[in-house]
Amino acid sequence: MKKTAPLLLLIAVMGVPAFAQMDFTGEWAPLYHEDNPERIPGPELGDYMGIPINNAARLRGDAYDADRISVVSEYQCRPHGGDYSMRGLANMRVTEEYGPDDHLLAIHTRMNFQEQARTIWMDARPHPSELAPHTFQGFSTGTWEDNMLAVFTTHEKESYLRRNGLPRSDKATFVEHWVRHGNLLTIVTAITDPVFLTETFVRSQTWQLDPGQRMGRDICEYVPEIAKPVGTVPAHLPGTNPFLHEVADWYGLPFEATRGGSATLYPEYKDKAPKPDKVPAMCDRYCACGQNGRGCNLH
Amino acid sequence: MKWRAAILAAGVCGWLVSAAGQQPQQNFDNVKIQVTPVQKNIYMLFGAGGNVTVQVGKDGVLLIDTEFEPLVPKLMAEIKKLSDGPIQYIINTHVHGDHVGGNDAFYKLIPKNPQLPLNIIAHANVLNRLTAPGPNGAPGTSTAEHPGFPEDEYDTPYKDFYYNGEPIFIYHEPNAHTDGDSVILFRGSDVVTTGDIFTPDSYPFIDIARGGSVKGEIDALDHILELTVPADHQEGGTYVIPGHGRVCDEADVVEFRDMVVIVKDRVQDLIKKGKTLDQVKASKPTEDYDTEYGANGADRFVEAVYKSLSGK
Amino acid sequence: MRRILFAILIVGAVPALTFAQGGRGGGRGGPPPQGKAGAPVDLSGYWVSPIFEDYRWRMFTPLKGDAASVPINDAARKIVDAWDPAKDEAAGEQCKAYGAAGIMRVPGRLHITWQDDNTLKIETDAGTQTRLFHFTGQAPKEGEPSWQGYSAAKWEVTALPGGPAGVGLGMLPRQGTKSRTLDVVTTQLRPGYLRKNGVPYGANTTLTEYYDHWSEPSGQEWFTVTTVVTDPEYLAIPFVTTTDFKKEPDGSKFNPRPCTAR
Repeated sequence: MKKTAPLLLLIAVMGVPAFAQMDFTGEWAPLYHEDNPERIPGPELGDYMGIPINNAARLRGDAYDADRISVVSEYQCRPHGGDYSMRGLANMRVTEEYGPDDHLLAIHTRMNFQEQARTIWMDARPHPSELAPHTFQGFSTGTWEDNMLAVFTTHEKESYLRRNGLPRSDKATFVEHWVRHGNLLTIVTAITDPVFLTETFVRSQTWQLDPGQRMGRDICEYVPEIAKPVGTVPAHLPGTNPFLHEVADWYGLPFEATRGGSATLYPEYKDKAPKPDKVPAMCDRYCACGQNGRGCNLH
Repeated sequence: MKWRAAILAAGVCGWLVSAAGQQPQQNFDNVKIQVTPVQKNIYMLFGAGGNVTVQVGKDGVLLIDTEFEPLVPKLMAEIKKLSDGPIQYIINTHVHGDHVGGNDAFYKLIPKNPQLPLNIIAHANVLNRLTAPGPNGAPGTSTAEHPGFPEDEYDTPYKDFYYNGEPIFIYHEPNAHTDGDSVILFRGSDVVTTGDIFTPDSYPFIDIARGGSVKGEIDALDHILELTVPADHQEGGTYVIPGHGRVCDEADVVEFRDMVVIVKDRVQDLIKKGKTLDQVKASKPTEDYDTEYGANGADRFVEAVYKSLSGK
Repeated sequence: MRRILFAILIVGAVPALTFAQGGRGGGRGGPPPQGKAGAPVDLSGYWVSPIFEDYRWRMFTPLKGDAASVPINDAARKIVDAWDPAKDEAAGEQCKAYGAAGIMRVPGRLHITWQDDNTLKIETDAGTQTRLFHFTGQAPKEGEPSWQGYSAAKWEVTALPGGPAGVGLGMLPRQGTKSRTLDVVTTQLRPGYLRKNGVPYGANTTLTEYYDHWSEPSGQEWFTVTTVVTDPEYLAIPFVTTTDFKKEPDGSKFNPRPCTAR
């Protein structure tokens, strides 16, 4: 007993469990049962609905000319940021990495669009200094909150909140909560951006486990798509963007609501919103996205 | 004493004008030097003024820019942790005091060895401005008084040499931030140092009085984009050390360049419509960028763009 | 060697015993409690869902025929294209879009309280609806369908550590997983609308929800409800949405108002 007592103590200390992690590993296929037209074909120009943007972000959106992606060749292969990766073309593979002591060191994600890889460090390491380089996916650390994984990400490059020119700055951070229910994975993303948002912007999305998913490569090489003089940056001059009313007119919405902002987000806005200028009799755009579980076409 | 007052004035002035929206620091006692590894041989040091680039290797040490004079002992202490080798090169990206202020102090601290001479390099216009006569006909300062002045000047489109196992290119960027700007490429380490042509957290200070122009600024940014090559999906690869702010890469330079071009286009449009400078400022052509680059520097930026484009 | 093996076996059992003693009020070896006593998180209070997602389908009544994002089938498409709010009003069915399968997406506020130790009550100001989450077990065999149906709720079972398998050479004792999720299954629903413009769900709909509570680093509380609507009549595949609710300091903005069909 003398020999086994210390051994008992040692093994007991080693073996006392904290409650442990969930298993998020696997191939995950995103469900687009929310905002399908925005996330797949892409958002309408001037659609700033549902985002607590400030006026700077709004004006940036108004100046945005989608030609910029073609003309400014450095944008052609630009991937989504770590936060938008959860939202857009977001087939995902999740794997785990264990350290030499067999404790979980990191959780890795790979998104199919532009082959974006992110590491969520689980070893309590500090985030880099403010002078360190930023990446599109950012620097992420994770902790367990019972059955949820809480992830904190900093050091993202400037990117977008929505793919129609609404910017997200490199000062932003975001927090995620991952939770799994059977074969469904829900990830809630809460973005804080002191440059472009007036409050925390929360989006949540769900994936379904898809063991048969095969992502393959997403190789990008930029080429001159439109001949323009070097240094041309397509943009609308202030007050000249002709497309800003489209989304309101196409969908029978008050123009003010399409401009986004915190004041438009809460239930009381419904009663205060002005009347739309135009209300079509029937839906004419993206009306059947997702019908019968299929894709999203304009008509 | 006159030279000291002049360099101090240049230093304070330079710091004031190159660090948009920030208050000048008078007391450097509490400044801690932050050291950031960049890539391969290259490190970035930051204290209070402009970023300092440090290249280390078997040949010795190369510095780009020297911050403020009072910080030189602290800078030297950090450099010594990176390498015991001799400092053989100091390159100045431009004339402003927060980038050249430490030259003399470094010169005095570095042991003199004729076999390992110290080369202090900048474009000729930097030396011209440092030694130019002062206001009201006051005599200019001399290199004899300031051994840290960049006497190893160049006035060609570029200068190159080999050091610490890699080719180094110093490119003159005419009439950009100033008329003496240099951008330096470390071809082996794949790092570019830009001076204040690129300042990711603030509007560029286009120093019209010292030969800067918005056309030159944009041309310089475009040239930096030619030098940088991202490694994978528009990220990493060539790293960029800006005049102030964090380590960047091509994607970050693109955002900054695009901002300058877009604001320039707006101001150009207003000039075509016959607007005065005050009217241009009142129209707030930077309103969508102010929360990102700082509203405090907006008017100065717009004014420089206006003057560059209108010639007024 | 026998002593070492014996020691490992004992240690493997210790965590299970420890949990049973220090767990969520459960007796030694008994199931963890449900209802108010077993709540791992506090969902009570006033909550609002800022409309960050599906904005044009939630804040305003979408155009007739707009069923974007919902995996409806061909039978549902006919109903969507024929939607007539005047008919719903004439039939007294203004509340069709406020049934359990759609109510969490309607802009509004919630007031969550414990009606009793085994019943969590959710009141919505939009449409003045009341949902009751029963922690007592299965739904009654026969029940009158209603807008809110019958909701059977449970706190997700926590997997206990130190289970029977998991002891062996090189193995650490099995670790448990502690959950804070509320699972709710709702049946006996009256046919309603998933959206105000008449996207239907039928009488055989089963609604499965998972409520997950989380907080921002600032301390601001939220919960996210993952909603799975399974309807063999009108949906090609289960319809999955996630709705996020932010806690409010009080009920000063809780504004009960009736259902509307438009």
